[in-house]
This record gives sequence, C-alpha cells and structure tokens, in this order.
Amino acid sequence: MNLILIPIILPIVSALALLLISERTRYLKELLAICASVVSLLAAANIFLLPAQTVSYAWLGSAISFTLSTDTLSAFLLLAAGLFSAAISIYSFSMPNKGPAKWFFFNLLMTQAFASGAALADNMVAMLFFWEGLLVFLYTFIALSQTTYAAKRTAMKAFLINGATDICLLVGITITGYIAGTMSMSEISHNKLTLDYGWSVFAYVLLLIGAVSKAGAFPFHTWIPDAATDSSASFMAFVPAAIDKLLGIYFLARASIYLFVLNGTMQLVLMTLGAVTILVAVMMALVQKDYKRLLSYHAVSQTGYMILGIGTLNPIGIAGGLFHMINHATYKSCLFMTSGSVERQAGTTDLSKLGGLFRAMPVTGLCFIIAAAAISGIAPLNGFFSKELVYKGTLDTGYTIFFLAAELGSFLTLASFLKLGHSVFFGVRPENLKETKEAPFSMLLPMLGLAAICVVFGFGAQLPINWFISPSLEALNIRHGILTGFHPDKLYFLSVIVILAAVINHLLGLAAGGGKADKASDHIHYAPVLKEAYAMAERRVFDIYEVGMDRVVPAFSYALFKVDRFFDWVIDTAPSGAAGFLGNTSRRFHTGSYPLYMALTLAGAIIYILLLASNGGLK
Amino acid sequence: MDLPIQMLITAVAVPVFGAFLIPIAAKVSVPTRNAFAVLLGLFTFFAAASLMKLVVGGQTASWTLAFPRGFDLILHADMLSVFMASISAFVSAIILIYSLDYISHYDNQTEYYAMVVLFLGSMMGLVFSASLLWMYVFWEMTGFASWRLVGFFRSDKDVAKANKTILVTVFGALCMLVGIIMIYFDYGTLDLRALHGQAISYAAAGFILVGILSKSATLPFSTWLPDAGVAPSTVTSLLHAAVLVKIGVYAYARIFGVTFAAPDGFSTAVLYIAGASALVSAGAALIDTDIKRIIAYSTISQLAFIFLGLASGNKTAFAGALLYILMHSIAKAGLFLCAGIIEQNAHTKDINQMGGLFSSMPVTGAAFALCSLSVMGIPPFGGFFSKFMVFSGAAQNGNLPVLLMFLAGAVMTLLYLVRLFYKIFLGEPGGHGNPKEGSYTMVASVMALALIGLALGALIYYPSAYTELLTNNLGVNLQ
Repeated sequence: MNLILIPIILPIVSALALLLISERTRYLKELLAICASVVSLLAAANIFLLPAQTVSYAWLGSAISFTLSTDTLSAFLLLAAGLFSAAISIYSFSMPNKGPAKWFFFNLLMTQAFASGAALADNMVAMLFFWEGLLVFLYTFIALSQTTYAAKRTAMKAFLINGATDICLLVGITITGYIAGTMSMSEISHNKLTLDYGWSVFAYVLLLIGAVSKAGAFPFHTWIPDAATDSSASFMAFVPAAIDKLLGIYFLARASIYLFVLNGTMQLVLMTLGAVTILVAVMMALVQKDYKRLLSYHAVSQTGYMILGIGTLNPIGIAGGLFHMINHATYKSCLFMTSGSVERQAGTTDLSKLGGLFRAMPVTGLCFIIAAAAISGIAPLNGFFSKELVYKGTLDTGYTIFFLAAELGSFLTLASFLKLGHSVFFGVRPENLKETKEAPFSMLLPMLGLAAICVVFGFGAQLPINWFISPSLEALNIRHGILTGFHPDKLYFLSVIVILAAVINHLLGLAAGGGKADKASDHIHYAPVLKEAYAMAERRVFDIYEVGMDRVVPAFSYALFKVDRFFDWVIDTAPSGAAGFLGNTSRRFHTGSYPLYMALTLAGAIIYILLLASNGGLK
Repeated sequence: MDLPIQMLITAVAVPVFGAFLIPIAAKVSVPTRNAFAVLLGLFTFFAAASLMKLVVGGQTASWTLAFPRGFDLILHADMLSVFMASISAFVSAIILIYSLDYISHYDNQTEYYAMVVLFLGSMMGLVFSASLLWMYVFWEMTGFASWRLVGFFRSDKDVAKANKTILVTVFGALCMLVGIIMIYFDYGTLDLRALHGQAISYAAAGFILVGILSKSATLPFSTWLPDAGVAPSTVTSLLHAAVLVKIGVYAYARIFGVTFAAPDGFSTAVLYIAGASALVSAGAALIDTDIKRIIAYSTISQLAFIFLGLASGNKTAFAGALLYILMHSIAKAGLFLCAGIIEQNAHTKDINQMGGLFSSMPVTGAAFALCSLSVMGIPPFGGFFSKFMVFSGAAQNGNLPVLLMFLAGAVMTLLYLVRLFYKIFLGEPGGHGNPKEGSYTMVASVMALALIGLALGALIYYPSAYTELLTNNLGVNLQ
C-alpha cells in the first residue's frame, strides 16, 4: 500500500476496530487509539521528509479522480494534524468527562483520518468529501461528550452551522471546477482564476464562506463557546483549537492564493473580516467567567489574525497567517489541556471558584503561563513572531487601521489572560481546593510537549520558518524574502507598550473589582455603551444561528407552508368544493315536480330561440 | 428465446400474475402466503438485476406482443430501464421482508401482499415498456394498487386520503394521455425506440409534464403525498420513497432525457417549478409535526433535486440525477421504515410526543441517522456524490436563481432532518413509556438499508461509472 494512504486508512480501520471492543475493557481502547494516532503521525513525518508524490484512483465518473498529493503545504498540514491527534489521544488517556471512551476515540481517529484526507486531497471533490465528512464526527463528538440535552443541542448547532457553510463550499467548488474546467487544484494553479466577472466572484465568496466557517471566524463561530461548556476539554483542544483551524486556514490560503487571483476589494473584505473577528471575539473573551469558555472565544479571535495575515496577500502577511495557524493550534491546544487538567483536579472551571492553584499544580501552571504568554504575543515565544509577521504584512498594505485593530486585539488578549491566570493559578486558594493535586503524567506529557514547541518555535523561530512556512509558501508559488529574525524595532517596542498597558489595565481592574481577579474585567464589562452591547450579546442578539432558528427560519418556513396549503386548496378543496356545488345545485332542480321540469324545458327553449335569433336565425 | 428476453418477460409477468395467486396461497396457510410474496419480490429483483450484465455490455433486449394500430406491447431492457427496475425491485423486496412482521398486526393482509406485488409488477411493466401507451396502462395500474394500499386502514379519513391520491394522479395521467395522443397523431407511432431524437411540441410536452408532476408529487400537485401518510409505513415507504414517486421522474428521464429533445424553454420552466417545489416542501417539513408527513415533504423536496439534474441539460447533471434516484430510494425507504418502527412501538406519529427515544431504540436511531445523512448528502454516504453531481450540473447550466433556490433547499434539508432526529431521538421525552426496539427483521431491514447507503458511498465508482455510461449511450441533447 502506498505510504500516503496510511494516515487516512490506519485511523479508520483502528476506529472501526475500536467499536468491536467492549466498553468494559480498561486501557485497551486507549492504547489502540494512541498507537494508531502515533503510527499515523510517524507515517506523516515520513511523508513530510519524502519528496512530493501523487496517487490517483478512478472515482466519480471519468472526469473526477480521487487524487492525493503531498506538496510541502499539504504534507505540513498532515504532519500537524497527526501531531495534535497523537497529543490529544495521549492526553485523553486518563481524562474523564469525555463521554464513552470507545466513542471518544472513534471520533478522534475518524477526525484524524478525514482531516488528513482533506489536507492531502488535490482534487477539490476529494477534499470536500473529507472536509464535509468531518461533520458527522463533529456532531457525535459533541453529542456524546456529555449526557445533557444542552450537549445535544450544541451538537446540532455545530452541525447545522458547519453543514450549511459546507453546502456553500460544495456549490463554490462546483462553480470553480466548471469555470476552470478541472477539479484538480494543482491544474487550476497553473492558470489561476480571476475575479473579473460575477460567477467567479460568487464562486470565491462561497469558497471563502466554507473556509472561514471551518476556521471558526465571525459570524460562524457561535457554536464554539457553546461547545466549550457542553463538551469536553479534550474535544475543544482537538477540534476547534487545532484541526478546524488548520483545515480552514489551509483552504483559505489555497483558495485565496493558489486558485484565485484576488483584487483589492476582496483583499479589503478579507482583512476586515479578520479585524472584526479579532475584536468581536476578544471583547467577548475578556468578560467570560468560565475557563473553557474564555479560551474558546480566544480560539475565535486568533483566527482573525490568520485571516488578516492571508488577506494582506503579501508574502510576509501570508507567512504570518500560516505560522500563526500552527502556533495557535499549539498554544490553544495546550491551554485547553490545562483547562481540562484543572477541571479534572479541581472539579470546576468556574473562575470565581478557582484560585491559587499554581502551588498545587505547578506543571499545569507552568504550561499555562508559557502558552498564555505565547498567545498574548510576548517575545520571544512563538506567538510573538507570527503576530509580528502579520503586523508587518498589514502595515505593508498601507491600511494602518487594520494594524491598530490587531494591536488593540493583542492588548485585550493579554488583559484577559492576566485575568484568567490570576484567578486560576494565583491569588487565594479556596478552602475546598486545599487537597488539589497535580494532574496525572499522561495529561502532563502532551501539555509539556506543546508548551515546549511554543518555546522552541519562539526562540528558534528560524526552525519552523525554514522547515514548514517557507516550503509552504513555495508550494503556493509565492516568492519571498527573509521572513524572520528578532528585530528590536518599532514594532517590538510597541509590543512592550501593549504589555505594559495590559498590566496597568489589570491592576486597575483589580482595584475596581475589590481585588478579586475574576472581576478584573468588570470595569470594561460594565462601562457605558459596552454594558448594553454585552447585555445584548448575552441575549444572543448577535448569534446568527440563534436569531436564524428563532425568528428567520420559523417565519420563512411558515410562509412556505402557507404556499403549500394554498396549492392543497387548489388541487383538493377548490375542485371538491366546485364539484359539490355543481352537484348540489343540479340536485335542487331534480325535485320530481312535473311543473318545474316543464318550466325548465320551456325556459331552455326560449333561451335557445333567443340565441338563434341573435345569430341571425336558422340558415 | 434468449435467456435475457425470458428474464425480461418474467420480471414483468411473474409479479403481475403472481399477485393474483397470493389469495390462493393464502388459502393454504399464512406462512405460505408470506413466503410466496417475499419470493415473488426477490425473484423479480434477481430477474431485473440479471439483465444488468447484458446492458452494461452495450446490448439491449426487446420482446414484442403485437397489437393492432401500432399499440404493440413492447418490453425493452436498456441501461435506464434495468437500472430503474433493479432499484425498485430491490427496495420492494426489502419492504416485503420488513412487512412480514410489520403488517402481521393488522387486518386485510392478503390484499396487502397482493397489492404490493401487483404494484411491483406494474412498476416493472412501466419501466420496461418501450411504448408510451403501455407505459400509460401500467401507470394507471400502479395508481390503482396505490389507491388500495393508501386506504389500507378503512376509516373514512383513510379512504378520503386514498381518493385524493388517486384523483390527483389520475387527473395527471389523463392529461398525459392527451399528450401521448398528440404524439401519436404527430408521428404515427408510440414506440419510444422509433421516436428517439425527435422534437416534441410544447403542448404535448406540457400535458405529459402534468402527469409526471402529479405522479412525482411536485408542485402544484404535491400535497397528496403527505396526506397519503395515513397508510401503513411500508406503503408510504414503498409508494413515497422508493418507487411510486420515482415513476414520474423515470418518465421524465425516459421521455425527455433519452427519447425526445425537450425544448429549452420547457426545461427552464421545469427547473423553476422544481426549485419552488424544493423550497415550499422543505418549509412545510419544518412546520409539520407528524413524522411521516415530514418525511413525505422531504421526499417532495428531494424529488425536486432529481428534476434539477434531469432538466439541467448536461451529462453531469443527468448522471447525477440517476445516482440521486438510487441513493434517495435506499435512504428514504430506510427513513420511512424507521418511522414505521417508531410509530408502531411509540403509538404516536407526533414528534412532540417522542423525544429521547435513542436510549430505548438505539439501532433504529442509528439507522435513522445514517439514512438522514445520506439524504442530506453528507460524505461518506452515497447521497453526497449524487448531490454533488446534481449541483455540478446546475452550475454548468448557469441559471443563478435556480442554483440559489436549490442552495437554500439543500440547507433546509439539513435543518428539517436534524430537527427531526433531535425531536425524535434526543430531545426531552414527551410522555411515552420508553417503547421497545423493533423486531429483529424490521431492525435488520432498516440497518441493511442504512449500511447500503454507506457502501454505495464507499464503492461509488461502480454506480457512477454505470450512470455515466448510460448517459453517454442514451442521452439526447445533453451537453
């Protein structure tokens, strides 16, 4: 069998084998899943080191073949998907609260297989096949992670939001394929499509909707915070934090750089979308009172940086977007792991009930600090470098406003992580958490691994840039200059100012909140104007799904239902009514009365004669 | 006589005449009757499927019984008729097996089996007929069988709905007859093989279309289908999902796809009608609360996608529409049969009174979910490929309003099916006594259909190659 197929087939086969194992066995399921994901990771690493290759099979009719290809970008994606699958499967070994272990690992392996397939597919139909196939496992992942009705409803929400946008993607792909005359992405890239007429704009917009929705950008993000409450930390660390981001941004880059040549308008659309996503989500993150929910809003907000980076359309920005994609997956996955470990050991993720856990859980605390510093863009961790690239790319486009929005986002990100870290790991430990201990080794190991990557990709940013990002840009046919190097330039000093501002803000918030860390954002939460906006957000006025399902869909379907009833009237009620009326009317004249019959006959004869006369009589 | 021709004749004659022997078999014993009916179904399927090899090899088989004035009964096996016959007979056979248990709770079983098998025979006759007149004759026979079956429970309400069904479809069929007569006067023959590639007038096409839309429950003749949901679930699944409503679609493919060159304006009109039908029925599916009516509305909505493929005028779309017939027949039959299990065990059809049934009926729930995914067109299920190809063809056709209507229709499909699944299986329980799982044969039947949907996705190469070859060999006026 071809090596390329192993990361797809091995997890599927193992997942199916898992279903045969009894739920009562201990460790067998876990070990099988860990082995499968680790072997797939090794296969992915091997593929990454080999030169690009392609496999192709006859598939859907003669026009569409099942083609997988390992160019450097795809191989990088494959490796990343393998890494996070392996990390999460190890992490989940002793993680409770993830639903039935059998189904959890089934979903995990299936997600790995389908994500690998989507990353490797060169044919857009094959990519869509894997991409949309992930929906099934997204649903089961969330629905089975808790036994509550809320989990089922959130699963439905996630499924419907992603399902609807996947259909947009499907239609976008059909149009793109028709315009280009091929479904093969590498063939299209030789002769890129331009946005100079309506159909190609429509096609690109549909692809864009599919990509940013998978990445979890505004306004398609609303299921993610709900999933943070209604599913497990393992799921959050795996799918919304890592896999979805990887795939969404991957295809966004493919569509925006590799398949289409974008124009200035579309560039603005992308950058605006990025900036809005950053700010809206981080504003929401700032005021959250729950560990996982707070992180989930950051998972949305950080997507904005990636979209902004790719939207710049210049090599530095795109490199920043892709670098941020992998960095974000690393630290956000790590952060969700710390939340899971706190949840397991302390029994809650409610910030008001946590505090002072650093001494009890030093490793978790350390990982948290590293990952939180990375996401806040503190030098010299990995997040700093990718954000700097995005900033530089944004400044190069000349739109300073987006740069300012991104910096404001950084400020708020750090502010919210100061609040989060302070209220969980520092301050006073509540009485009932006195006995709390550190999480087990199997949970700490992947957490430490990911935190180490944050450090290595920061101090040694040259390494990922040269190994992953620069080859990825080449796969997208982008020529670029030097991408990295630590420069104590204006941008660096600005980042220091942002850090100081966030610290001052935190101190102010603490003072205003009576020294309680979980109330450190209240001065912003309850500021004039913002207070009303937050209250509306709490009522889900801005959630397109809730508004759609509550108002738009019922009204729209009711109108359509009325149309249906109208046609029923036309083909059923009206004809039966007419027939009944005619029958009743003629029955009324058939009374058996001789004089009536005679009168009718006479009347008929008179009418006949009159008609004849008006037509000129008998000829 | 060659073996293929014998098979062709038996595929039609065995169920048509066998149906009349079922009452005699019932005199012997109930198990004999049941076994006989299932055997008739299976035999028909194998006879139809045995022709597959012949037609894939590029050959056809024909058999003619002469009648005066060009009204010959012509049975003709080509790729399209064998495709359609195999699907219909397969689903019918599964439904007969499922019926063994399902229908054993009710009266009038002998009539039920006789009518189902007669329906199957008429369907075979209709599919294999290469004469428009005989298509019409078999068409009316299916209508008769469905009339008896929809009115299976004899209350006034059931009979009224059955009458509605037959009145609407017969009205359409009579319009179609007018169209057929117009063709007869134009060309002097009703032999479809002789009419291949001819032009057809708007008037004749319009009259035939009325028949097709009424049989395939498409706007404006759609509402008889949800009303016919009063019938037993096996019947609704046989009639609604797998077979009867596909008659209209098949006739469209046969008459306007592989025989006459349909005028462009006509095809465009069909696209708009189908788009409206997809939206209206999807909207109604979101409002209704009766499980079978919702699935029936969903059928109307999905039929519109088949029309989209057939009328888009290109090979991708046409092949996609044929795949759609296959995938939808399997998946929708599965959904109706699941609904049958639920209805029988939960003693209600109102989804608001269900909820939380997954814990007590896990296999039915899983089968329902798998079939829904196929109908929604989610990979790796077969439905994904047919939906993709139909959309691909629609994009090629380049009619933006139609494309947008179907985009909305596809999203609404997700909405109503996910809502339905949630309401039945996951949501808060609505006052039922945790009903039991269905019997072994019933659950096995639905699970088989669900897994076949999955297998068709995994092995999509074969059906897609078949429909592509069919389209290339037989298609008329396709780009």
